[in-house]
Amino acid sequence: MNARWLAGKVGAALLTLAFVLVFNFFLFRGLGDPTTQLARLPQSSPEEIEQLKRDYGLDKPLVGQFADYVGDTLTFDLGISQRTREPVWEEIKNAIPWTLLLVGAGTLFATLLGAWMGVVAATKRGKRTDTGFLGFSLFTYAAPEYWIGIILILVFAVAVPIFPAGQQVTPGVEFSNWLSEAFDVADHLVLPAIAMTLLLLGQYFLIMRSSMVDVLTEDFITVKRATGLPWHRVVSKHAVPNALLPLVTIAAIQFGAVAGGAITIETIFSWPGLGELSFNAINDKDFPMLQGTFLVFSAGVILANLIADCLYFFLDPRVQTR
Amino acid sequence: MRLTRLVASTVVLVAVVATGIGLGSQKAAAQDTGNDVLRIGWAQDPKTLNPFTGVNEEEYTVWALTWELLLNFDPETLGPSPGIAESWEVSEDRKTVTFELIRGAKWSDGRPITSADVKWSLEVLGSNGLLFSAYTGNVTSIKTPDKYTVIVETSKPDARIVGGLWIYILPKHIWGKVPVKELTSTYQPEVPMVGSGPYIVTEFERGRITTMEPNPEWRGDPPAFEEIEFIRYGSQDAVERALDLGEIDFIPEVTAATFDRIGEKEGIETVKAPTYAFTELAFNLCSEQNCPDAKFNPAVQDKTLRQAIAYSIDRERNNEIANQGTAFVAHGLLPSFYKAFFEIPEQDYPYDPELANQLLDDAGWELNDDGIREKDGMVASFDLYVRSEAPADVQQAKLIAEQTQEIGVEFNVQAVSTDKLTELTIRKVDGKPAPEFDTFIWGWGGDPYDPSFLLSLMTTDEIGASSDAFYSNPEYDRLFEEQTTLFDAEERKAVIQEMIAILQEDVPYIVLTEDPYLEAYNSDSLGEVTRLCPAETGTAFCQQVSYEPLLTLQPGTGSAASETVSGVPGGVVAIGAAVVAVAAFLFGRARGRRETEPLEVEA
Repeated sequence: MNARWLAGKVGAALLTLAFVLVFNFFLFRGLGDPTTQLARLPQSSPEEIEQLKRDYGLDKPLVGQFADYVGDTLTFDLGISQRTREPVWEEIKNAIPWTLLLVGAGTLFATLLGAWMGVVAATKRGKRTDTGFLGFSLFTYAAPEYWIGIILILVFAVAVPIFPAGQQVTPGVEFSNWLSEAFDVADHLVLPAIAMTLLLLGQYFLIMRSSMVDVLTEDFITVKRATGLPWHRVVSKHAVPNALLPLVTIAAIQFGAVAGGAITIETIFSWPGLGELSFNAINDKDFPMLQGTFLVFSAGVILANLIADCLYFFLDPRVQTR
Repeated sequence: MRLTRLVASTVVLVAVVATGIGLGSQKAAAQDTGNDVLRIGWAQDPKTLNPFTGVNEEEYTVWALTWELLLNFDPETLGPSPGIAESWEVSEDRKTVTFELIRGAKWSDGRPITSADVKWSLEVLGSNGLLFSAYTGNVTSIKTPDKYTVIVETSKPDARIVGGLWIYILPKHIWGKVPVKELTSTYQPEVPMVGSGPYIVTEFERGRITTMEPNPEWRGDPPAFEEIEFIRYGSQDAVERALDLGEIDFIPEVTAATFDRIGEKEGIETVKAPTYAFTELAFNLCSEQNCPDAKFNPAVQDKTLRQAIAYSIDRERNNEIANQGTAFVAHGLLPSFYKAFFEIPEQDYPYDPELANQLLDDAGWELNDDGIREKDGMVASFDLYVRSEAPADVQQAKLIAEQTQEIGVEFNVQAVSTDKLTELTIRKVDGKPAPEFDTFIWGWGGDPYDPSFLLSLMTTDEIGASSDAFYSNPEYDRLFEEQTTLFDAEERKAVIQEMIAILQEDVPYIVLTEDPYLEAYNSDSLGEVTRLCPAETGTAFCQQVSYEPLLTLQPGTGSAASETVSGVPGGVVAIGAAVVAVAAFLFGRARGRRETEPLEVEA
């Protein structure tokens, strides 16, 4: 890999991150003063609220607060949550694996299924399978995720109770070994992961389908077919690898964005990931927590982009020659 | 060839399903270990267990089970009853209260509970705890002549010292070792927590579960449940569904919108009880002297107009519509929850629009061309702010606007965020209050027994602090001071009734409803439920106020046992089987196709 090319990409990523850092700070200050909520707590006194402002550093002018924030963030100190009084990073660290698990499972299934459906639909363009897949994926793409989530719960947790309706493990249960705990998590993962898959499936399918259709009409496919290669081999060996490129990029780029956008699904299924963490932080106006989670989201998107760029480098030889 | 594959995949499928069933039954067998667990579901859980920094209801719920107060709230009357102290004596001048502690009482770690713990807690938590520093303002000294005596002296008689000291007594040997600076910032107590109540926290996973187990040193009868699990769900919806599915036994807070529906379900019972909180329509009564820069329509300060508005509001009907009948119609500032001091005031403003019109006619408020009343250049048209986060209040506001139209008073309902409304009410210019509203709908909640906080909202001293009607009346202030000095509940009640009568005449607030506790429980898993806090009209759980009701709960026939699980959940097996089956099918099909696919080109 070209070192200059890589340095350029990393530099651009860092610059974006720096911009996000600055933007985050001012964005959340727009939410107002977190201590106003405490102003109406019956048993607290005005002196205490002043004290609290000092503790939070809110008594300083905005520039001072900003300097503190940038300094701390650069030393990897995301601050203390104003509500739980735990280090923000600790809470984010606990939530990340759960989000990665959910988003990872959803992305994996959605890409596999989407790619397969895309190939099938493109090779049978205009036929009933194609229309059926198209209709189905447009439906799941358009349906709001909370609606899908609630329907899944009503069907598979209430009407036919084969899956738990929420949480990530059965609460209050002691597991005899890690394997049974893993199975319990898997059991809880099924419904949110299906919801996540359905949420993502539509666009992956559409991308794969259109990219497949493009490739299948190209000259080299006709040439391959003219050489007498069986149709299935033309598709699997020559068309799919070329058509896969946009899907991989989109899936990689999306991965970061989806992690931040899983808020609804995480809330519906009581899934303790980053989405839920940031949702609660917004309600509580927990500035350090909000800054922390949004920084992680942004870093996720930027990192995913960087990885997608690098993937492209290997997958598409044209990038290397540039 | 194809046949063999089909057979092979079927065999795999059957094997997977069979293993799944086997493992599933293993789980069922492992469930029955005998312990009785009470599972409580909620949509918000404690953010911290540290009382110096916690501010949420859920935190109080856990604290109230963990630590006793110097004097607890009696579960039947809510009056003062033995807590850490078994008896108390008020001196002749009522400025000294001597408490005798229970001898031999121990913390859950076996260390004795002594006067040093009490003194430390009242002094340190009582002046640094975010929610505990409003109680000891009059205390001048706390003396501990021996291990079991605490003498509290106050600058003036203060009835709150008996029955109103809502400050948890913490074990000094643990909390006293931590610098105050840390207590008020990042400190998180270790679990198992050391407590004096019937249960102590043994596991705290924020956002997931808070587990409490019986305190081994608990003095009373051993609690019936060997474990309490507070399980947190992502939404109120999920909590209510969990009760329906039998995942939990009890919900301490059901939403008004779903309350009736939940109660109709088989095996689920509901409890509705009034609380120490209310929702009011408030008027901006700030005087020129107190708030020179306030912005409002001066007509709001006309007493007759406010009285007429009070008559024109149908509180009964509004409760039925806006709150689905789940709240209780209020009668004055003091909720009926304060049994010892409450009485329905003589002037209660029953719904009477005719009388309201009469009052306004007599006072010279005349209808203009738009049907709105005017007098001396003032127009009876007001902004009515309401919190958009509280849909019931928004509806209430619209109903009020509709009803007052009948008497020629206009309310322009404006739904704003809680923060915005807070800003409008606490706004200050040059250090002086400068509220910027005519009227708004919001609420307050008080303490379990002592009504001082709610009554204080109308005192002149609170202008610039908690007062949001900016009401000022020297006679009321005098009576407020007087009632705080009266230890005798009957004498105190008489004074409080005088105060309420003044407020009913002046109408700084029209208190609309008393907010309810809405609980739901699984009647199979909980046996008999006794309503307490206060007796008969109270709740099954009494959260934040007393642990006694929890001790009366008994596991029913269907209550959960603590589980040890070692199998594979059925759902996973089903999915696994489905995946294997689909894969086998596709694989078989693809193989078949490869052999027979004709050469054909589309498009």
